[in-house]
Amino acid sequence: MVKAHPAVSGGLAPSAAPGHTNAEPWLGEKERFMFLLIAPAGIVLVLFQIVPIIFGANASFRDWQLFDPVRTWVGLKHYIYILNDPTFLTVVLPNTFLLMFLSVTLSLVGGLALAHYLHRNLAGQWLMQTIILLPQMIAPVIAAMMMRWVFNDQFGVVAAFLDWIGFGPIAWLAQRWPSFFIVVFTDVWIWTPWFALILLAGLRSLPREPFEAAQIDAAGPWRTFTHLTLPMLRSVIAVCVLIRSIDAFRSFDVIWILTGGGPARSTEVFSIYTYIETFVNLDFGRGSAAAMIGALIILVVAGVMYKAAGRVMDVSR
Amino acid sequence: MARRRDGVRLLTSLALAIGVLSWANPAARAEETLNICHGGHPIMVASQKILDKWAKKEGVKLATTLIAYDVYVPKVTQMLTTGSAQCDIIWHNDDWGQLWQQYVVTTDDVAGIDNVAKQPLDAFWNDQHKLTVVPMAHTIGTFFYRKDLISDAEVPKTFADMVKIGQKLQKEGKVKWGYVGAMSFNNTWFSLWWTMWNNGCDIFKPIYERDNKVLAANDWTSIVDQPCHQQIVEFWWDALHKDKIAPEANTTYGRNEANAIFMAGDAAITVADSTFWGDYNDKNKSRVAGNIGMAPYPVGPGRSKPITWVDIWGWAIPKSVPPAHQALAKKLLGEMLTDEDGQVQMWNETGGPPPNVKVWDRLAASDPVFRKLKEVDFDQDHVHSAYYFANWPKVHKAYSDVAIKALTGKREDIPAVLKEGAKSVHDAAVAQ
Amino acid sequence: MTALPVEQSGHPYRWTGALAPGGRQAFLWLATIAIVFLFLGPIVILVVTSLRPGWAVFYIYRGTDFTLQNYRDVLATEAVIHAFINSLLVATLATIVSIGVTVSSGYMLSRFRGPIPRAWFGTIYVFRTVPYISWVLPLYLVCYYLGIYDTYAGILLPHIAVHICFFSWIMKGFFDGIDPSMEYAALIDGCTRWGAFLRVALPSAIPAIAALGILSWLYTWNEFLFALILTGQNTALITVTMAQFVTELGTAWNLMSAMAVMAMGPAIIITLFAQKYVIRGLRI
Repeated sequence: MVKAHPAVSGGLAPSAAPGHTNAEPWLGEKERFMFLLIAPAGIVLVLFQIVPIIFGANASFRDWQLFDPVRTWVGLKHYIYILNDPTFLTVVLPNTFLLMFLSVTLSLVGGLALAHYLHRNLAGQWLMQTIILLPQMIAPVIAAMMMRWVFNDQFGVVAAFLDWIGFGPIAWLAQRWPSFFIVVFTDVWIWTPWFALILLAGLRSLPREPFEAAQIDAAGPWRTFTHLTLPMLRSVIAVCVLIRSIDAFRSFDVIWILTGGGPARSTEVFSIYTYIETFVNLDFGRGSAAAMIGALIILVVAGVMYKAAGRVMDVSR
Repeated sequence: MARRRDGVRLLTSLALAIGVLSWANPAARAEETLNICHGGHPIMVASQKILDKWAKKEGVKLATTLIAYDVYVPKVTQMLTTGSAQCDIIWHNDDWGQLWQQYVVTTDDVAGIDNVAKQPLDAFWNDQHKLTVVPMAHTIGTFFYRKDLISDAEVPKTFADMVKIGQKLQKEGKVKWGYVGAMSFNNTWFSLWWTMWNNGCDIFKPIYERDNKVLAANDWTSIVDQPCHQQIVEFWWDALHKDKIAPEANTTYGRNEANAIFMAGDAAITVADSTFWGDYNDKNKSRVAGNIGMAPYPVGPGRSKPITWVDIWGWAIPKSVPPAHQALAKKLLGEMLTDEDGQVQMWNETGGPPPNVKVWDRLAASDPVFRKLKEVDFDQDHVHSAYYFANWPKVHKAYSDVAIKALTGKREDIPAVLKEGAKSVHDAAVAQ
Repeated sequence: MTALPVEQSGHPYRWTGALAPGGRQAFLWLATIAIVFLFLGPIVILVVTSLRPGWAVFYIYRGTDFTLQNYRDVLATEAVIHAFINSLLVATLATIVSIGVTVSSGYMLSRFRGPIPRAWFGTIYVFRTVPYISWVLPLYLVCYYLGIYDTYAGILLPHIAVHICFFSWIMKGFFDGIDPSMEYAALIDGCTRWGAFLRVALPSAIPAIAALGILSWLYTWNEFLFALILTGQNTALITVTMAQFVTELGTAWNLMSAMAVMAMGPAIIITLFAQKYVIRGLRI
């Protein structure tokens, strides 16, 4: 049972993966084993993710109001409407990309810094690690609500502080960019610990020898970081950035609670656009179409980012 | 290899555990159990208490399913359109009256249905002009003010009065703000709309009209760019930025913020649901307990008498419920409607005005708070607080976006924003 | 090679060695204070909020009344304890099953090329990009028609589906970063493929598995949307019970914050427990 030599895909995996010669007969058995292992996960995935998504995709080509599910086929009508909607193109998409870019970048940088901070063998580290993970221990909805009250111009903690130092009240949520700042701030607050923990685990898995060698070679801290740490962590960083980008692109709770897309839709992002169509207007067809468009966009964008990230972090090679 | 076997064994036992647990369904349905689905608000709970009382007498058990408000409408709509008989009785609201009218049972034969206020029922007629709801309580917006700061003579009767008294109190340092009231999307009634209706204005022409045929005959023309509406937008712009009787961030406030500020004593006037009377006067919750007064709405230049909305929350029965349960549900609901004592208790506990008008007379005679509420809200002219057609949510959102945009921009831009807004509100109404 | 002063502590080089010794200490102290302020601060605000009565729930810095009434009210809410137990069960089971199923699949994805891993990776990727909002209502219908709506399976399985995507990818990333030459050496030494995986690759991945376990447990513990749509009266979860404090007429933030603080308890315990596995690293 000799399998044809599979093409080695480019990118981030180490090139010398075991078991890649034609001669090894147990590749066939491995294939069956792979299937066996993926099968239960696959079934769950199909039933509880793929089928509903296909259902939703089907709805996107139909006129489908939740309260009057006539379901007539209308082809691309919803897609055309959305892609011609000036608000979608000039406000919603730019907002979404901006939020995604800022949130992921800032969380990544913060996470890297925190991971290094935690990567020491000090007593009491468990305490700092727990403190850093606190934002992940409350639901994003709760965090968003709390931030909304904290930044309230009348009774927020921030308002009290500003009052104390003599500043007047700032109506954070009443204007576009201050609201956007709060949304990004909250998102970064919630997700930096996520990056920190995964990157810490990554740092912990790295072998010591290269670092000791660098130390002997009198490599500076920045060079060690860029030429040793980053390349060795690049697969983990790339996957984290990919996952967070996709999630940030479709993040909903935080923005809905903080601004509702306001004021006057100026902080509306793609997920809010979808939510309003599906859950407020009860137009399931158009909401699904919006979701599909968004999914396609992020599919392409994230794929590009993944490849680019790999190339960037290969800089030392 | 042994490890692999162990791994498989572990997975299998986990799978079995999940399987067993998932079919462990503790609350198996007894014979006569009715399932009642609502959002968990105290008024709904209190109304269910009345139903529970009668259910016990009939030997019926009422099981409650709480569905979070955030997902209530989509989830229940799904339930209704897929014919699921999961809920025997559901919470219903005038906002969705027309959305669900084809999926719920008619209620003209429920006992006591003749004794409810007629005007709020407009949202609930189905295409054959049969009723589809059993009212549980009224939801009314009420004008509240601090009676320790504003004497009877000073109670504002016009918008201009409101500005004057607000500025006076602010200058004297007695309050931080003259007015606070919810304004963000889905709370539009408590600043923008009460002033709109009390200025002789509305969203579509003809004003105060709710018959969809008439509105369609007028092409769903929006009048938000007309002088009567421009007046109130400019009134609020001035209130926020020029006269400063309300905080600039009022455009972002929901009920939580507005109530918090009022209850902390930082504002002299607010407009909120009548049921908050209880909270405002609760010493544990409010710093201004005991100092609250109610008054009829001040009017703008476009009107001489106040106008209020007096809509209802109710119960409905899905059509997919088996006939035996339908009859049982109707019986219980009828008993609730005619249970005057139960409704008095609901009023006392939650401040939810009862649906049975015979109880109104009883309460007006015995309870000064209800008497006042009746005077300032029930006895005035009425308008419906929503339009009752499929695109209403779209229209509501479109209106809110227009108004907020106008209020957060420059004053000179208001006419242009409203002109554009009239178009977007019209488009939302006729959207397919 | 010139001889250079080597760090006395003996552990790997830290970039902070570039600063003067006093500078390093000061910097670390500053960093610690900043971290505590930024990360613990809002949690302190949440806890204080939950201890305030009535209107002071919003004006948390005004007045000095504190009360435990919010906690009493939450505990008096129907099915709160039930919700805690359910959430604990669902979060733990979802995490364990997901780990069991996807660590090896992540390993496969990393070590093998070919149509199957690529198809699997591609499938996960494509379907992960679709926002939950658009398919949660169809998911409700699927669960309803399968007869598992409002059962443990009905909320577990969708969560496992979501975790599968999450775990497989990150485990692939971790395994990509682990040099396969050690496994190859083990294979040459006569180890079976499965043995090489269990004895060589897996131990280096323990920090990763622990980290992912924590994060995925917390994610399920705090998840809102699935919980709202897919549960009914029998499978109350903490997030669903919290969501009930939001009504058309406003949010009972005092109760919500009290419940959120209570929900942090198990979260902290799980995190403390699993953390040491993250820190262990290469020492098994």
